[in-house]
Amino acid sequence: MVARTIRRGVTAALGVIGVGMALTAVFLLSRTAQNSEEFESLHIIILLINIAGVLALFALSVGSLARLLRDYRNHVPGSRLKARMVGMFVGLAVLPLLVVFYFSLQFINSGIDTWFNVEVEAGLDDALELSRVALEMQMRDHLATMTQIADRLENVNPRQLIFELSMLRRESGASEISIYGRNSRILATSSDQSAGSLPKPLADEVLLQIGQNRPFVSLDPLARGGYEIRTAVRLGNKGRRDPGGIILAHFPVPERIGAMADKVDTSYSAYKRAIYLRDPLKRNLSLTLTVVLLVSLLASIYGAFLLSRRLVKPIQDLVAGTRAVAQGDFDTQLPAPSRDEIGFLISSFNDMTQRLAAARREASINEALVEAERANLEVILARLSTGVVSLESDLTIRTANQAAGAILNVDLENRIGERLPDVAKGHPLLQQFVDIASVHHNASETDWREQMVLSGEVGRQILTCACTTLPGDEDHETGFVVVFDDITATLQAQRDSAWGEVARRLAHEIKNPLTPIQLSAERVRRKYLHTMSAEDAQVLDRATHTIVQQVEAMKEMVNAFSDYARAPDIDLNKFSIDKLVHEVVDLYRAQESGLQIILKTDSDLPNIEADVGRIRQVLHNLIRNAIEALENSSDGRIEVGVSVAELHDVEVVEIVVADNGPGFEIGSINEVFDPYVTSKPKGTGLGLAIVKKMVEEHLGIIDARNREQGGAVIRIQLPIDEAAREQMIANRLGGNTEQRRERA
Amino acid sequence: MKFLRTTGLAALLLVLAAATLAQEEMPRQGFFDVRSASTSLNNGVHELEARLQLILSQDALDALNSGVPLTIELNLEVIRVRGLWLDEVEAQLTLTYELEYRPLSQRYIVRNLNSGDLDSFATLYSALNNLGRIQGLPVIDDALINPESRYRIRLRAALSTRQYPAALRIIFFWRSQWQLESKWFEWSLER
Repeated sequence: MVARTIRRGVTAALGVIGVGMALTAVFLLSRTAQNSEEFESLHIIILLINIAGVLALFALSVGSLARLLRDYRNHVPGSRLKARMVGMFVGLAVLPLLVVFYFSLQFINSGIDTWFNVEVEAGLDDALELSRVALEMQMRDHLATMTQIADRLENVNPRQLIFELSMLRRESGASEISIYGRNSRILATSSDQSAGSLPKPLADEVLLQIGQNRPFVSLDPLARGGYEIRTAVRLGNKGRRDPGGIILAHFPVPERIGAMADKVDTSYSAYKRAIYLRDPLKRNLSLTLTVVLLVSLLASIYGAFLLSRRLVKPIQDLVAGTRAVAQGDFDTQLPAPSRDEIGFLISSFNDMTQRLAAARREASINEALVEAERANLEVILARLSTGVVSLESDLTIRTANQAAGAILNVDLENRIGERLPDVAKGHPLLQQFVDIASVHHNASETDWREQMVLSGEVGRQILTCACTTLPGDEDHETGFVVVFDDITATLQAQRDSAWGEVARRLAHEIKNPLTPIQLSAERVRRKYLHTMSAEDAQVLDRATHTIVQQVEAMKEMVNAFSDYARAPDIDLNKFSIDKLVHEVVDLYRAQESGLQIILKTDSDLPNIEADVGRIRQVLHNLIRNAIEALENSSDGRIEVGVSVAELHDVEVVEIVVADNGPGFEIGSINEVFDPYVTSKPKGTGLGLAIVKKMVEEHLGIIDARNREQGGAVIRIQLPIDEAAREQMIANRLGGNTEQRRERA
Repeated sequence: MKFLRTTGLAALLLVLAAATLAQEEMPRQGFFDVRSASTSLNNGVHELEARLQLILSQDALDALNSGVPLTIELNLEVIRVRGLWLDEVEAQLTLTYELEYRPLSQRYIVRNLNSGDLDSFATLYSALNNLGRIQGLPVIDDALINPESRYRIRLRAALSTRQYPAALRIIFFWRSQWQLESKWFEWSLER
């Protein structure tokens, strides 16, 4: 930031210095073009500096133009605007400059031309000619005078020559008369000047002229101003072949005439000089004007580039910032260039990005929270034993947890997005569920609660089901959530508990009067049998015998109920299940010769840790139950199988007892383990109930079903040791759903 | 024979035409040259004798005839020769003459700007001839000269444009016709 400020400052300073220098150079150029004394000697240098400035500005402008064209072709943001602005600025600057330039040139040319005029020139020519004529008349007079002087000196005695010469000089009005002999030697001289100044030697032109026998006369300008007439003639010219001396005289031109002639001469020269200088002056002024124009023009063009760059820069920044924001970079902050409207726009942009960034941060925090909540909910739903299914208004599955699939025996989690009635096809349990739910749906009931009884292959399943509407949002329309729980096991447990209570009370209330009844019957028999007649005694004997026998039967029944209700402490020991099964099966094989009892055991059955007495009773009850089911069958067959299996990574011993009897009634298949449920005339109805109770005391699982080929199958799965039991408990606590699925 | 004569005549005409054209196209190029120069000791003063050839260019002639005075400078330098060191200019003398045409008297005026003396001549030739003939010009007093040192003198003539207005100097700056300057003519100072 500091570096940028310094750079900007240096650029501005350089710009100011450059513009100042250019203006100074232009000013100096204009001054020197006007022949200003102080800068005249620097004119060429200043002009060269200006030309260098023009070249530099040209190079800068061309460089800027090239950059602009490149940006324009590459569609750099802001380049079009910059091009338009440059065009506008240049147009605004160039047109007036060119107009001013054109008219200035015209004014210079016509202005300079008006200095000269034909009449003035002709007048000057005439004045010059007039002066010349006037002076020539004097020259002729002086020449004639000189000829007379030469004649008079012809016969003068050389001794009187000086005297005569002085006299003649005074008479003629000459300022100096000198006589030169051979080789231009001065023979005599007379001058109006003080003594001591010798006359000048004869000029070549005088000698040349006299040598050609022609008199010499000339009009000589004087250093102090004015003129003098110089005449020279040959002495002794008459009748003598060899030249004698030369007499030369200087005649002053009258001061007034000389001054006027000087003025005419000077004016004429000045006018001619002005005419001569006219073209160079025009050229020079045009050149100066052109250079000034070029400096101004190129400075304007370059200034247009700089200005447009400066104006467009914040807009370019803004475009870049907007793009960055569009790409999701909300941390973009633009430098505020000034306090004008653009600066306000940029500070508004910065405010906007800051707010957007803050909003995004907040949104992402909220999103994370929602995500965490969702994840928690998913975990809870996954671990929940209650089935939860959310549906769209058209019954399309939106979400479903594992438990829902397990309860309804359909993998609902993989069918999300399909309609529930479509998924139900081919799945009887779900179909029954959908049928019941559809009744409410078709009746437009949105909030309902119902206990459903579904019939499955392995028995009846009782669900409590509740449905409520889900409020819709912008992503989802209004839908439903259906929550259901399998309460079959709970109801079963309640029933078991109720039956246990019944059995305990029955045993307690019935068993007590039985013994007095039996004792009383036996006492009546003992006391009155021998006192009665044979016929009566027979009746009494039979009656008391019946009473005792029935009381015994009732006692057995009450003991059975008592056993069901009373649960002695379980005694876990390791024993060979193989051996136990063989013992029990062999016992029944010996007793029931009419039945075929087939035993299938794995060769490497391990020892199981269990209550051997209870397991023996379980086996007895199951086999006895099968035998009783096959009482009326001619080819009854019982299959007992013992094997090792795995139930959710827990090692279990699986005992299966199957018969080919009539099987369970479909309606009561789920009640076979309830007390006092029996299809046999002799049964107490407690056999399978006790079996189930004992299996569950070992944390085992029991189920009953009918075989397809006829007959019933009861399967027991017992954890093999303490570790397996603990694993079983852990699975039940954490994996109720798997258990349910397995059961399903 | 006839062919040869015709060809020769044609060639001669061609050369003449070319010469005429060349003369017309190429304006007169002036030049300044120092033909001879020497110094002699006279009454304890070294005096200069020199002959210069001064021929004006067409541009200079035009200017002169248009009333523009020409300034001709004679630069004279007395240089002490130093063996291992740069030579030192002991004395410098610049003689400035102004040559002017006066239309009224139709005479060329040569004015010595150093002394103020003035001479007039009927022709430019005689004016330049007079200018180019230097006799007995005192250069340096012998007493000022170190008898142990060696001296050399050099002379140069040049047309000066410094006194002209800027408008003219700009034009002169670019034109070779106004760059009239002789080479240095150099000789040893004899005693």
